[in-house]
Amino acid sequence: MIWMSWRQFRGQAIVGGAVVAVLAAYLIYLGLDIRGSYQTYLAQCPDAGDCSGPMGQFSLDYENTLLPLAGVLGLVPGVLGMFWGAPLITRELENGTQRLVWNQSVTRRRWLLIKLLVVGLACMVVAGTASMLLTWAAAPVDDVANNRFSTVLFGARFLPPIAYAAFAFVLGTVIGLLVRRMVPTMALTLVVFVIFQFLVPNLVRPHLLPPEHLSKQMTVSAINEARSLGSITGAPVLNGLTIPEGWITDVGALTQADGKPLSAKTFDDCYMNAPKTGATEGPYGDIAVCLAKHDLHVDIAYQPWNRYWAFQLLESGCYLLLTGLLVLFALRRIQRRPA
Amino acid sequence: MTSDDSYPILHAEGVTKRYGARTALEDCNLTIPRGRVIGLVGPNGAGKSTLLQLACGLVTPSEGTLRVLGETPAANAAHLAKVGFVAQDTPVYANFSVGDHLKMGARLNPTWDQGLAERRIAQVGLNYKQKAGRLSGGQRAQLALTLAAAKRPELLMFDEPAAALDPLARDGFLRNLVEFVTELNASAILSSRLLGDVERVCNYLIVLCASRVQVAGDVPDLLNTHYRIVAPRGELDHPPAGMEVIRAQHTDRWTTAVVRGDGSRPATWTIKPIHLEGLVLAYMTRAMGVAGQPLMTSSGEVGR
Repeated sequence: MIWMSWRQFRGQAIVGGAVVAVLAAYLIYLGLDIRGSYQTYLAQCPDAGDCSGPMGQFSLDYENTLLPLAGVLGLVPGVLGMFWGAPLITRELENGTQRLVWNQSVTRRRWLLIKLLVVGLACMVVAGTASMLLTWAAAPVDDVANNRFSTVLFGARFLPPIAYAAFAFVLGTVIGLLVRRMVPTMALTLVVFVIFQFLVPNLVRPHLLPPEHLSKQMTVSAINEARSLGSITGAPVLNGLTIPEGWITDVGALTQADGKPLSAKTFDDCYMNAPKTGATEGPYGDIAVCLAKHDLHVDIAYQPWNRYWAFQLLESGCYLLLTGLLVLFALRRIQRRPA
Repeated sequence: MTSDDSYPILHAEGVTKRYGARTALEDCNLTIPRGRVIGLVGPNGAGKSTLLQLACGLVTPSEGTLRVLGETPAANAAHLAKVGFVAQDTPVYANFSVGDHLKMGARLNPTWDQGLAERRIAQVGLNYKQKAGRLSGGQRAQLALTLAAAKRPELLMFDEPAAALDPLARDGFLRNLVEFVTELNASAILSSRLLGDVERVCNYLIVLCASRVQVAGDVPDLLNTHYRIVAPRGELDHPPAGMEVIRAQHTDRWTTAVVRGDGSRPATWTIKPIHLEGLVLAYMTRAMGVAGQPLMTSSGEVGR
């Protein structure tokens, strides 16, 4: 059955191998280029002290390359699910060849299991190769940028891509088992996978472990670190804060020293009519000075940086668990309701 | 091969298969003894493919129980090894060569007989390197037959094996099929719209029409228990006990009928033996009702 799985998969494997080879060559080139560039910027650092200037520039140089690459890597599992997972059963059904192969002396359950193992492992190798090469290539930039928990990058480093690939592949196979036609199965596989890739980072990932909390005083400089002030509904909030302790998963309301939340009116007053003090610091200038006068604090829920590997393992584990459940479902279904 | 005759090759009790609202096979009750070559005849859509796919486990019954060689079809690998199935239009992997197919057979079947397979491939003149997608219909059927037979099953099933073949290829295919069954000492079930094919090679007949089994039995028994009666018109409206009228045709004064019975009848009635074709036709006509009278064309094909 392993021979059979390989013989049927050979053509697809060759195409996949060629694509991976091209991608790998590019990533190796990129990794070497990044390392060369890193040395150049390092040489521009002052002999003693702060090197954040050149390093920030170094990080900026590659951001526009590495972010789309992370996006591409995010799509790889979806593509594998479409082109390797979706046809696994549907192509047999559309050609009628299941009537040939299911009448050999191999039960349908075993037939499916071996095919899932052979092609599934290939999917994981492809995604793993791409992920490890990208992780290696981007390592110097990641060290400087320190944004490993960012939505896109987290899913494009180390282990998660491997788990995504296993999941997407089995997802394609299972949808094929239910839909039974190849093209709708391919489309549906991609759609469902993309939905997962949107929902999990935003709704599931922040809650994989109970967050730590800290209260941060919103001084003038702290306010000026925010990406924007206020929300679309006019609520008094600060957006896009960062803290050195870890990845912020939730920011509470702005509260005054007495614990009462800052009223929207006070916030708006500062925002619209801040007294002129001649402050020029940061993007918000007088507004920041006005707000800071109210002695504001925010409660921040965050995941410490040292949980990175726990999160890598947890998210990968969740996807693999889901994959396992899908495999069990498929094995039950194919034996009971083959056609 | 086993000589265990303790269970029939196929035993069906109240087997019904529905696809959504459509009933493909209804209340099928059959017990087929071993050592037969069984012909399954009926028009298109009669349920022949459904019955065979049920028997090899490709589909499961909606109701009823079905046992093939004493077990649920496709229950386990050992049972799968005992049943060979050649599906309608003989599917093969288009991008596999003939040699790949034999390799597949050898890898997936512990009972595989490589010698038999190679002998067969040589006999029908197939090239090992040829892609199966480029084979003619007849060659493909031969390849599919070889694959099914070389696993040395106790029961071989063929769904319309000769339907796509021209008369010459069909002749060769059926001859091979009989050789196989004899060589393997197996039982075989062969479905066909062509009574001619079935009549040539089968010694047990199942007539399937309108999703129901109309009649089933050993061919000599069927011929012994069915005959034509010519009786004065009206007298057959009340046939004697033990006689069942299958189909009656009337002229002004006489009624000609195909009946089932032991041969006893009033002296005024004329009795004639019946051919298998007439018998099958009578059952099908009855099953189809007046509206859709099936016709037997000159080639023996049963159509509508």
